[in-house]
Amino acid sequence: MIYLDHAAATPVSDKVLEAMKPYFGAEFFNPSAAYLPAKKVSADYEAAKGVIAHAIGAKTSDLIITAGATEANNLAFTCLSLDGSMLYLETEHDSVRRAAEAYGGEAIKALPTGLIDLDDLKSKITDETELISVSLANNELGTIQPLAEIAGIIRDVKFDRLKRGIKRPLLLHSDASQALNLLDISVARLGVDLLTLNAAKVYGPKGVGALYVAHGVKLKPLTVGGGQENGLRSGTENVPGVIGFAKAVELAKEHLNGNRKKYANWRKLLLSELKDYELVNKKHSLDNFVVLMFEGLDAERLIYLLEEKEVYVATGAACAASKGKKSHVLKAIGLTDAQIAGSLRLTMGETNTEEQIKEAARIINEIVKAEKERLKNA
Amino acid sequence: MRKTVYVGMSGGVDSSVTAMLLAEQGYKVVGVYMKNWSKDLPGMKCPWAEDLADAKRVAVKLGIPFEVWDFEKEYHDKVVEYMLDEFKKGNTPNPDIMCNQEIKFKLFYEKAMAAGADYIATGHYAQVKDGKLLRAKDENKDQTYFLYRISDEALKHTLFPIGDMLKPEVKKLAAEHGLHNAYKKESMGVCFVGEVGMKDFLKEYIDIEPGEIREIETDRVLGYHEGAVFYTIGQRHGLYLSGVAGEVNDGMPYYVVKKDIPQNIVYVSKNLNHKAIWTNKLCLKDVFLRLGAFRSAAARDLAPAARGDGPAGRGPERRETSLLVRLRHRAPLVPATFDGETLHFENEIKRPASGQSAVLYDGEICLGGGIIK
Repeated sequence: MIYLDHAAATPVSDKVLEAMKPYFGAEFFNPSAAYLPAKKVSADYEAAKGVIAHAIGAKTSDLIITAGATEANNLAFTCLSLDGSMLYLETEHDSVRRAAEAYGGEAIKALPTGLIDLDDLKSKITDETELISVSLANNELGTIQPLAEIAGIIRDVKFDRLKRGIKRPLLLHSDASQALNLLDISVARLGVDLLTLNAAKVYGPKGVGALYVAHGVKLKPLTVGGGQENGLRSGTENVPGVIGFAKAVELAKEHLNGNRKKYANWRKLLLSELKDYELVNKKHSLDNFVVLMFEGLDAERLIYLLEEKEVYVATGAACAASKGKKSHVLKAIGLTDAQIAGSLRLTMGETNTEEQIKEAARIINEIVKAEKERLKNA
Repeated sequence: MRKTVYVGMSGGVDSSVTAMLLAEQGYKVVGVYMKNWSKDLPGMKCPWAEDLADAKRVAVKLGIPFEVWDFEKEYHDKVVEYMLDEFKKGNTPNPDIMCNQEIKFKLFYEKAMAAGADYIATGHYAQVKDGKLLRAKDENKDQTYFLYRISDEALKHTLFPIGDMLKPEVKKLAAEHGLHNAYKKESMGVCFVGEVGMKDFLKEYIDIEPGEIREIETDRVLGYHEGAVFYTIGQRHGLYLSGVAGEVNDGMPYYVVKKDIPQNIVYVSKNLNHKAIWTNKLCLKDVFLRLGAFRSAAARDLAPAARGDGPAGRGPERRETSLLVRLRHRAPLVPATFDGETLHFENEIKRPASGQSAVLYDGEICLGGGIIK
C-alpha cells in the first residue's frame, strides 16, 4: 500500500498508542473523582495539556480540549456578540465555512496563489467586525497564510478603533489542524487569539482536538454539564486521547525540521518523476502537499484506478469529496470546472518512503497514460 | 488544660504543616477552610474546590475536626470592592494586605475566639515574640509585608508555627509525615483567583475606556490605551504605540510615568531617569503603627538637638526615626527615616505605585507601615 492522503487521516504512531494504553486500563479513573489515584490521572491529564499548550507557546489554562477540530472551530465562533459580524477566508474547511455561515459570516477572497487577498480583507472590515478566521495552512492546497501580516492589519484596525473610542474587540482565529507537525507554531508570533488544533492529523487519535483561547476572550459553551475545560466543554475528560495527543505533539516537535526537509525533497522527487501534469500549489505550500492537475481527465476515475494498485490519493477534502461536491477551494483560486474535475491531492507523511514516492510516480504516470489512451480511442 | 487553636487551612503545604505541628505539640486543633472566593473567570478555573479537598484530606489524616467558614460576601465587600475602588482611583492596591487585616485576622479571629479558641494559627512565614511581629527565619519567604496591619489584639492570640522554619524544611516535614500536598505547586497571580493576571481580572469588572498615550516631555499623542486604570507607573509592557512608527520608534522602551485618571490619559517617557520614576521621599497615608514596637524604636533614636519632639503635644511617633523599609514583598530592606507621615531615603529609590504599602522594620521587628500616596 502507498498511502498519500495524510491530510485526511494519519495512523496513530506506536509510541502514541503505548502512551495511551495505561489510561484505558489501570489509570482509568475519572479525573474529577476525589481519591488520590484519580488525582494522579487528573495531574497527568493537565500535564499532557501543558505539553500541547507549550508546543504553541501557550499556557495550560489557555487550552480547551474538544472532540476534534470541527468542534474547536464551532466553539471559537461563540466569541461573537449578538450584533458582531465575522469574516472568513473563502477557501476554509467546511467546519469553518458552515459555522461562519451560521453566524452570517462574509467570505474574503483568495488570490490565484491560494493566499488571502489582503486588500479584500481590509475593504471588508467594518466597525461591526469582531472575528476574522483564516486557517494557518489550507487543507486542500497546503497554502500557508500570512497570519502575522493579518494580525498586523488587525492591530491597525484596533488602534484606529481605540482612537475613535470604539470598544468592540477584533479577534483572529486560525485553524492550524494541517500544520501542527509541519510548522513551528507560536501563538504570539502568529498574533492569533484563537487557534484550532487536531490530534488526528499529527499521528494522534481521532476525536481529539483543542482550541487555544487567549486571555480575555470570552466564549460560550456548546455543551454544558460538569464544568470541565473551564466550563466551556463539559463532559468527562478524554484522558487517553489527550495523553496520546500530547505524545504526538512531542514527537512532531522532535522531528519537525527533519520532516520538513524530507518532505521538501520528496516533493521535488515526485514532481520530477511525474509526467504530463500541471502543479496547482506552486508556492507558499506545506512541503508535503502536492496538488496535481490533469486537465481533461476525471480525477475520480484516477482515484479508483490507483486504488486497484493500492495507491490511495484524494481529490479534495475527504468530507467534501464523499458528498460528490466540487471543490470550493479550487474554484476559489480560479480553476475551471474541467480543471477541478482533473485535480488530485497527494499528501505525503510518515507512512511513506522514498521508494514509495518513486513507485507512486511510476504508477500514476502509467495510469494517466492509459486514461489518455482510453479517451483517445473512445 | 489543653489549649484550643483554630488553624486557617488553605490546602497548601504551609498551613497543613502548621496544623500538624500544633497537633503534635498537644493543642486541640480545629482546621478551618475559609471560603473567600469561588468564582471561575474566563480561561481560569478557580481552584477553591481542589484546595478545600486538599485541606480536608490533611485534616482527616491528622484526625482533627474540620470546618468550612464561608466569608465570600465579606471578602467581596471588604477586599474586592476596596481593590476595585482603588484601581478606579488610579492606585495599585494590595488585596493580600487587606485580606489579612479584614478577613483572616479579624473575621476569622473573632469567629474562632467566639467558638472557644485560645489561639488562631496560620501558615504564614512570620514570628510573634512578646506581642511583637517579627520577620520569618526564612528571609526569602517572609510574609510580614502582608501582615503589618493586623491588630495587636489578634496578634496576641496568633501562632505562626512555621515562622522559624525554612520552606524546604516545611516541605520535607510534610513529606515525612505523608502529607499528600508536600510538593503542591504554590498559587501564582491574583491570590484568590489563581493564575490570571491582574489586568485580566480587572477587565472582568471595569469596562474598557479608550484614551490617549502621550509622551510626557512633548505632550505628543503616541498611541491609545484601553483605560488608564489598567496601567501602573513604571510599567513598560503592554503599551500600544503605533501610527507614529519610525521617528519615535527607535527601539527604546517607553515607561508609564504618570496617569491622569479624570482625563484618562497615560503619560510615557523613554527617560529612565524621569523624576516620576525616582524619588528620595514617600508620603504615606493610613499609617498603621505597631505602637509598642515603634515607640521603643523611636525612643532609641531620640536625638535631642537635631530632631526634637516636633510640635508640642505630638507623641514620640512624630519624631524622625531611623528604620528599615520594605516597599514590595521580598524586596530588599532599605534604610530610611520616618516622621510619622513621610519616609526620607538616603539614596533615591524607584517609586512604588501609589496604593502599595511601605512596611517599616526595626531590625527583625515589624513596626507597621502605611499606604504610599
